[in-house]
Amino acid sequence: MTHLTLKNISKQFGDFAAVKDFDLDVKKGEFVSFLGPSGCGKTTTLRMIAGFEIPSHGKITINGNDITEKAPSQRNVGMVFQSYALFPNMTVAQNIGFGLRIRKEPEEKVQKRVSEMLEIIHLQEKGNSYPYQLSGGQQQRVALARALAIRPEVLLLDEPLSALDAKIRISLRAEIRAIQRELGITAIYVTHDQEEALSISDRIVVMNMGKMEQVGTPFEIYNFPTTRFVANFVGSLNTTDVEVSDVGQGLLNMNGILLRTAEGTMNKKKGDKVKIAIRPERFNFASEQKKDNVLDCTVENITFLGAVVRIQVKIGDTKFNMDTFNNPFLELPKIGDKDQVTCSKEAVLVLSD
Amino acid sequence: MSLLSRLRRVPFWSAVWFILGALYFILPLLATFEFSLSMERDVVGFKAYEVAFADKEFLQTFGYSIFLASMTIIMSIILIVPTAYWIRLRLPEARRLVEFITLLPFVIPAIILVFGLIRVYSAPLNVPFTDLTIIQPLTNYKFGTNILIIGGYMVLGLPYMYRSVDTGMRTVDVRTLTEAAQSLGASWYTIVVRVILPNVRTALLSGALLTFAIVVGEVVLASFLGVKAFGPYLFLLGQHRAYEPAALSFTSFLLTWAAMGIIQLVTGGQGQVAGGH
Repeated sequence: MTHLTLKNISKQFGDFAAVKDFDLDVKKGEFVSFLGPSGCGKTTTLRMIAGFEIPSHGKITINGNDITEKAPSQRNVGMVFQSYALFPNMTVAQNIGFGLRIRKEPEEKVQKRVSEMLEIIHLQEKGNSYPYQLSGGQQQRVALARALAIRPEVLLLDEPLSALDAKIRISLRAEIRAIQRELGITAIYVTHDQEEALSISDRIVVMNMGKMEQVGTPFEIYNFPTTRFVANFVGSLNTTDVEVSDVGQGLLNMNGILLRTAEGTMNKKKGDKVKIAIRPERFNFASEQKKDNVLDCTVENITFLGAVVRIQVKIGDTKFNMDTFNNPFLELPKIGDKDQVTCSKEAVLVLSD
Repeated sequence: MSLLSRLRRVPFWSAVWFILGALYFILPLLATFEFSLSMERDVVGFKAYEVAFADKEFLQTFGYSIFLASMTIIMSIILIVPTAYWIRLRLPEARRLVEFITLLPFVIPAIILVFGLIRVYSAPLNVPFTDLTIIQPLTNYKFGTNILIIGGYMVLGLPYMYRSVDTGMRTVDVRTLTEAAQSLGASWYTIVVRVILPNVRTALLSGALLTFAIVVGEVVLASFLGVKAFGPYLFLLGQHRAYEPAALSFTSFLLTWAAMGIIQLVTGGQGQVAGGH
């Protein structure tokens, strides 16, 4: 059942269109991430849901109720900010209970809810501490508890982990996801970190220059990007221009080298120029596996990345990166070696623009 | 760590400049104090203080100045806190203009201000094109004069009050705090009273202290508006007495220090409350 709906949302700042024709239905309990580079409109969209910005066009509904013009304080939407935004003059418990006291809930209920939230975020012993006495990760957990304490219809998270160091980021994102699942709350998460979005979300909305580029599950976004932007932004990717050679067989001509694809040529005709994308990990050396595309190559460069080794190969005139797991018992090729690489036809993605 | 080992860690030249600076301020104060104790020939005592405090006019003028200072501070807070808050929140482009306006009292002498006030407000406010008076000249009655002088003092204290409040608001990122409070359902009143004001408390107290010091010692506005405030009283006393003005000046210093001590006490000596980062 649709819980949050954004219908044809646009936002203009003077002549600048920050968000254009944004349509999204979010189910109850779903975790949706807005992913994109700085200035793509993801935070503006989130702020419109929160009520800090009013859309220039369009409608926002929660549970069917139009909230487009409602004040932020009337929306019952919880928000977690990048800078935590805890009230420095209040203790952790007072921060968490703030929204409930605003709602004039009985003090007994407030205390009970605060204790519950402190337990959920594993900070029972910090109730009387002030924000400045906590680490960044702890402060953000308190901010999360504060936003959840009011039992919001929707939880909004605006790059909540950006100010934290890498290790805490990973553990806290798992914690956020676990809490969200446990409480069954609808969540919208803004991030520019693709790994974060892929790991935490039910669905991802990839945004670019105020527009939605693609909406899909992390699996779909990563494996089947539909636009050049998504393909480039999510994960690392090889892209190149080719010409459609045979529509029926899905054959593509890359400067005289034939590549087979599984999809995307149906609405094309012979001779059309298209852009294709192949993930580095979809390539293998021919000796390991036989696949649809077997291509002669020369090894140009080898980069050790820890768990992965990135090998740059030249196929015809085009350079491709291929990733292989680091296996100390397998010998790597040497720079200048002539070899063959393969990839399945499903790995060759034809991009829509 | 012992005091001695802490002192050893202070760089030599820093200590020299600090001591020179401190002497520059403290020596004249000590001289004033020492002078105020020597009213009676060959006796060191508090005679000047006794005489000064026994004067009825002292208590009247000082009490009146404290009243004016308190009213100025209250009115300044009512005017400046919402203004500075709104500029930070919604009108950042107006900040430069407002900062320029707050600097004007440094450029325009108090004498110009007071003559302007007298010129404008010594005439009655009539209904246009009639002789029907709405407001009598403010300079003609005590309440009106109080309004004028408090207004004037608000102008004089504007640079200190506005800048203190604005700096305090910058330290706590009022914009995000406001949005956080709004998302939790808080009204504007609740946001200002329970979130913003407590977090700019130190800044407010600093601004209030400076305003208090300015108002209590102010002479020009009070003299020309003809009010019996502490500044003109001290000035007149200095015309024909020597020791009592010194005693009262030293007392004003003590009161200022006491006010600073109260600020430290109220804020727990931590200065501005830690920000939200």
